[in-house]
Amino acid sequence: MSARVVLESLPYLLRGTLVTVGLSLAVIAVGTALGLVLGVLRFVPWRRVGTAIGWAVELVRAVPLLLLMFFIFFGLPALGIRLPTFPAAVLAMSLWMTVNTAEVVRGGIQSIPAGQFEAARSLGLGWLPTMRHVIVPQAVRRMIPPFVGLCTILIKDTSLAAIIGVFELTRAAQETIERTLRSFEIYMVAAAIYFLICFPLTQLARRAEARLQRPS
Amino acid sequence: MTGGPTAYSFEWSAIWRGLPYLLQGAGLTIIISALAMVLAVALGLVLAALTQLRGGVARPLVRAYVEVFRNTPLLIQIFIVYFGLPQLGLRLSPFASGLVALVVYAAAYNAEIFRAGLEAVPKGQHEAARSIGLSAWQAMRFVIVPQAIRIAFPALGNNLVSLVKNSSLVSTIGMVELMFVANDISFNNFRTFEIYGTTAGLYILLVMLLTRALHLAERRMARVR
Repeated sequence: MSARVVLESLPYLLRGTLVTVGLSLAVIAVGTALGLVLGVLRFVPWRRVGTAIGWAVELVRAVPLLLLMFFIFFGLPALGIRLPTFPAAVLAMSLWMTVNTAEVVRGGIQSIPAGQFEAARSLGLGWLPTMRHVIVPQAVRRMIPPFVGLCTILIKDTSLAAIIGVFELTRAAQETIERTLRSFEIYMVAAAIYFLICFPLTQLARRAEARLQRPS
Repeated sequence: MTGGPTAYSFEWSAIWRGLPYLLQGAGLTIIISALAMVLAVALGLVLAALTQLRGGVARPLVRAYVEVFRNTPLLIQIFIVYFGLPQLGLRLSPFASGLVALVVYAAAYNAEIFRAGLEAVPKGQHEAARSIGLSAWQAMRFVIVPQAIRIAFPALGNNLVSLVKNSSLVSTIGMVELMFVANDISFNNFRTFEIYGTTAGLYILLVMLLTRALHLAERRMARVR
């Protein structure tokens, strides 16, 4: 009976879920830190540097995550950089998270009126203190909804790591199916687990978005 | 350049030999994405229109659809269609499975975008349209929807760009497109670095051209009023 198969496979799927959660948290931590720096650096006073960063972000963002992963896992060994599956997946996803966070940060900073920047500079604040104490604190409020949305997409996309063989929720489901041949039920359970993780986050993003629409 | 045992010589010839196939793959990616987007826009519009009906079960049902498909991985959805449905007696080809999965996934996002667009059109527009004698359907068709589409356009464009990138996932079930061709070539000649690099270049080109075209369309839309 399929209900029994589902019940018996649940512990194994939950082990995969733990990896999915850990993987997501690690990538979100790294990607957020680097993405924040990269996003702010786009507004450095040296125009050329800012433009170059902007282009780099756009180029990497145009490449599908699956291809980034294959490039790092199968392509880099050609240059002598051989990474095991797990670090390769973490590297690819962190790169993806970094550039997409940088884009969210750019949007947030650009939504702040230029007068704020000019006022801070004219008070004698340097570029970095202006960013740190004036611009970013105001921009963060507007970054939260798209950023939470981005985290949801990342959590869903950690499933791609299964394709290069990382053990996480999707891989756990595939292995269970190889044993039980119940692909429909097992993938449905996996989908339900992803849903339980992602749904609260999308609700949070929705609420944060609604909050933004109201005058503060 | 010479080096240790891992020294690798970059071969331009691998790119020239692979390029015709990769270009074909890129063509298929464009066709699949365009087809999926047209269907997903249609489905999204219908779903969004259903949310505008007062009362009934349509609204919560559409909401459930949107939440389910937006909060589960596309990869799992593809696997359910291709590997799971045959168990229930519904066997689809890789192409049909990939297309169905891409459409239902993108439609969930489109429905949400259109709903927001419809709700962003001021109430007065509807009242004004009705008061000059348009029927409810005519008011929708000629007054509300055209404005909603204009409001929704940028977000819809972003979703199309995502769709182009997401279409790479259907390579996992054997649907032939750019990513599939890239894997096929590089697993045969082992010039992984050159082939994946070229493939990345093609995706970048595709996305940049698309973004540019969408910007132009958006500007034109803003002008024609």
